[in-house]
Amino acid sequence: MPREAEPSLNERQFVLQALQENLRLDSREADRYRPLEVTFGDEYGVAKVSLGKTRVLAKASAEVTVPYADRPLDGVFQIATELSPMASPSFEVNRPTETEVLLSRLLEKTVRRSGALDTESLCLVAGQKCWSVRVDVHVLSHDGNVIDASCFAVVAALRHFRKPDTSIEGGILTVYTPAEREPVPLGWLHSPFCVTWSYFGEEGEMALLDATRAEEQVRVGSCTISLNRHGEICQIAKLGGTPVEAVILLQCTAIALTKVKEFSAYLDKKLAEDIKRRDAGGRSAELTAENDR
Amino acid sequence: MPLDTSAYSLALLRVDGRRWNELRRIHAQIRTQAAADGSSYLEMGHTKVMCVVNGPSEPGPRRGGVGGTSAAGSGGGGGQSKDAEVAVSVVVAGFSSVDRKRRGKNDKRILELQSTISSALGASLHTHLFPHSTISISLHVLSLDGSLLAALINAATLACVDAGIPMTDYVAACTAGSTSTYAANDESADPLLDLNHQEEQELPGLTVATLGDSDRVAVLVCESRVQVGRLEGMLAVGVDGCKQVRGIIDRVVRDKGRRMLQEGTVEKGVGLEDMDLD
Amino acid sequence: MSSTQHVLLSPAELAYLHASLSLTPPIRPDGRSPSQFRPLVAETGILPGTNGSARICFADGTEAIVGVKAEVERTRLAHDFDHNTFAAGSRLEGDFVEGSYAADAQVDAENVNEEQRVGDDDWVELTVEIPGYRDDDPGTVFLARMLGEALLADGEFARKLWINRRFHWKLFLDVILISPPLSYPLPLLSLTTHLALLSTRLPRLKSEGDEDPFFDDDWAAAPFIYSRNSSNSSSSSSSTTKDGKTSTTSRPPISLLVMAVGNNIIFDPSKEELAVADVALAVSVGEAPSAAAARGKDAMDVDTTTQDGLQRNLQILSVRTIDPPSRLTPPGVPNATNSAYGAAAVVASAQKQPEARAAESEAVEGVWKAPRGGARARVMAALVLEVLGRGGVADEVMDALDGVDLV
Repeated sequence: MPREAEPSLNERQFVLQALQENLRLDSREADRYRPLEVTFGDEYGVAKVSLGKTRVLAKASAEVTVPYADRPLDGVFQIATELSPMASPSFEVNRPTETEVLLSRLLEKTVRRSGALDTESLCLVAGQKCWSVRVDVHVLSHDGNVIDASCFAVVAALRHFRKPDTSIEGGILTVYTPAEREPVPLGWLHSPFCVTWSYFGEEGEMALLDATRAEEQVRVGSCTISLNRHGEICQIAKLGGTPVEAVILLQCTAIALTKVKEFSAYLDKKLAEDIKRRDAGGRSAELTAENDR
Repeated sequence: MPLDTSAYSLALLRVDGRRWNELRRIHAQIRTQAAADGSSYLEMGHTKVMCVVNGPSEPGPRRGGVGGTSAAGSGGGGGQSKDAEVAVSVVVAGFSSVDRKRRGKNDKRILELQSTISSALGASLHTHLFPHSTISISLHVLSLDGSLLAALINAATLACVDAGIPMTDYVAACTAGSTSTYAANDESADPLLDLNHQEEQELPGLTVATLGDSDRVAVLVCESRVQVGRLEGMLAVGVDGCKQVRGIIDRVVRDKGRRMLQEGTVEKGVGLEDMDLD
Repeated sequence: MSSTQHVLLSPAELAYLHASLSLTPPIRPDGRSPSQFRPLVAETGILPGTNGSARICFADGTEAIVGVKAEVERTRLAHDFDHNTFAAGSRLEGDFVEGSYAADAQVDAENVNEEQRVGDDDWVELTVEIPGYRDDDPGTVFLARMLGEALLADGEFARKLWINRRFHWKLFLDVILISPPLSYPLPLLSLTTHLALLSTRLPRLKSEGDEDPFFDDDWAAAPFIYSRNSSNSSSSSSSTTKDGKTSTTSRPPISLLVMAVGNNIIFDPSKEELAVADVALAVSVGEAPSAAAARGKDAMDVDTTTQDGLQRNLQILSVRTIDPPSRLTPPGVPNATNSAYGAAAVVASAQKQPEARAAESEAVEGVWKAPRGGARARVMAALVLEVLGRGGVADEVMDALDGVDLV
């Protein structure tokens, strides 16, 4: 198994020394994210997120399947993550590393278990037919903070996604093609986002947001907090690492909430822009027709 | 909600009759296993866990669990060769819960548990003293009634103490919850200490592990939706609970030490008569 | 997984051990006689949440826990639908006959059932957990198969799980090795499983015939799956229970690890002894239905099988060779070819290649060489005698396990 190259002693010293002097390599402030960019594909449900040099692609898709026997009224919803060698040479195909396991668990807890997607609305015929929604997350380039970027990509992809419209008449299920009926968005309840703090120093007294890969390699611990803009915690994961004062964790959560509100507003804006862009042909043509009359 | 939370506000008693700040009975033993370097047995209420520690020893053939990343993964320090690797394997016995459910070793939840325990203990153990070696911790869950991660961390800490691996301080863990549901922003909600399985299912809760007597949090895991406002109360109660737990496991270690001083080095492995698993 | 973790002994030590074990009588490092077992600590009923459980600690510190869980499962109806309707009719009849006849009818119905009670091996699921090994590790799978195979060998065990024609118990046996696998864990796991099964109880059936089964809430009234004879103090609920009647064997099988060095057969080998074994065998011994029990079919209520004084009717269920770790030990170098003891000789022999090779394959007295080949027929014959004979090893082990209090 190829191991991730450890940073050399010099690199390590350099990064840490700079942090001691309150400097980050890219001259950001401690609680500042790198520029976050989201673009949507032509297809529904494709979101590309870039956070500095970290790039993540998420694609949502849906198909009709049979629901699980123990939950006949719920649809199926799963998130699949893949860290390919493309992102970093230390990742291998079909061999989940610890990073990948933790990432998929985090996304699972943040998006799925917090009930962001209304799985009941995916049910078509109780116990027989339901939608199976699946999000595939591909990390294209790994320069730190894959978690936050992936979570943003998943939420963006799901909110952008439109599933084919259906109708049931006399027990017969009809799935319409986009040409027949406009696809419909998923039943969405709230938008959770992850905010990951990295801790540095003997006692973890220094906290940074959105660590780059170099910073991630020398950190002593991390804590991922998932919130939505209503101030609900969906999940907190500080999985070991150097112990950090409880008070610092509380402060981190408070700052995370402001970040999540920013994310939320940004995503709303981007989605609105995308809808406008898609409608550009349809509705403006209609409007011109009206003007002609 | 099957758990009737309305009863709580009447008598301020929980389903199992505890008050909000009461721990369940914790019973622990160390040196229960003769063949291992360190071992422990721990009960938190009906959650029963056994831990066996071997090492630090030469890294053998690659062990099964993935959890065995070195502390270097997140615990600082240098390459794998400079620090001892803490390899954790968690086995949840099929008979541990009411309905038999078998969890594979590649279940992501188990992998996450393993990685958490490995990283939490790795930060407390002086792994830099044992380069090129492995400390393997294997945990067996015999009975399951909530607070699993907390019980696992406590048992692992005890076993590491028994194995004589140098460490900065105890890593003690417990859970805390809140009587409010996530939607309700009621200010009257009480925090709760040490959730059992039923409470864990119904109420928001988190697992905290602290280092020694300090307020420093090594592990904080929250898996349920809860208002940000509830966090501070839950965390405070949890940290306080960790201190109580630390007191209890410290007493276990000291009692054993005293016995060993009085009776000479006790044979490893406990006579079954004082084992009392029930 | 080789049969044990590697024992680090030098070729000289191995040769010494091998030599002392092949003496008659053999001299074992810990002074035991060839058929003597090391002491062990055992207890049952340790897990209140299970149907049966046991824990055993061996003297070398290895420890195992077994928990048995039972669930009611619907039987896949295979063939006889007409049988079914017929049986339903007969049950109705039985219901109509009240009072003094009821008991008689009951017995009758059960006699009919007796032949129809067929078990299925799928009703038992046995899993083994060895710390540090994957679930699908060949060694782990092999262990699980060996334990399960012995258990199901006579087809009697699965029959005990029969409830009625539509339902059966599904038994889950989780075998967990707590300690690191220092020596080959088969005997430990087998004995622990044996005890756990002895202590296993299933709730008493209250429903009759083929209706949906419902059970007595009173755990104290629950019968043991292996009916018990009066030798134990806790026999309060044993003999008279209805379900006990099907058992024609009274004990689950045990598997023992036996090794041979030369013509000597050595029981309960330690890991050091195992490192010089010529052959290692896993022998599963079960109790065959005794003649009395077989005849006793018409006299159901008499709790049959072995009384204390009676001899057990033991039989060997399986013998399997285990790959002994001795095969992987490094060979010693005889002086003749050791350059440290005369380089000239080596140089000389190097020129005569064929001869040197012959010397290599030949055993030199006092020089360790990993054993090759399997068990000799004579050894096998002696083994069977030793195990099964009156007062033999299997008898001894069963007697010892009888001494464990069942909770």
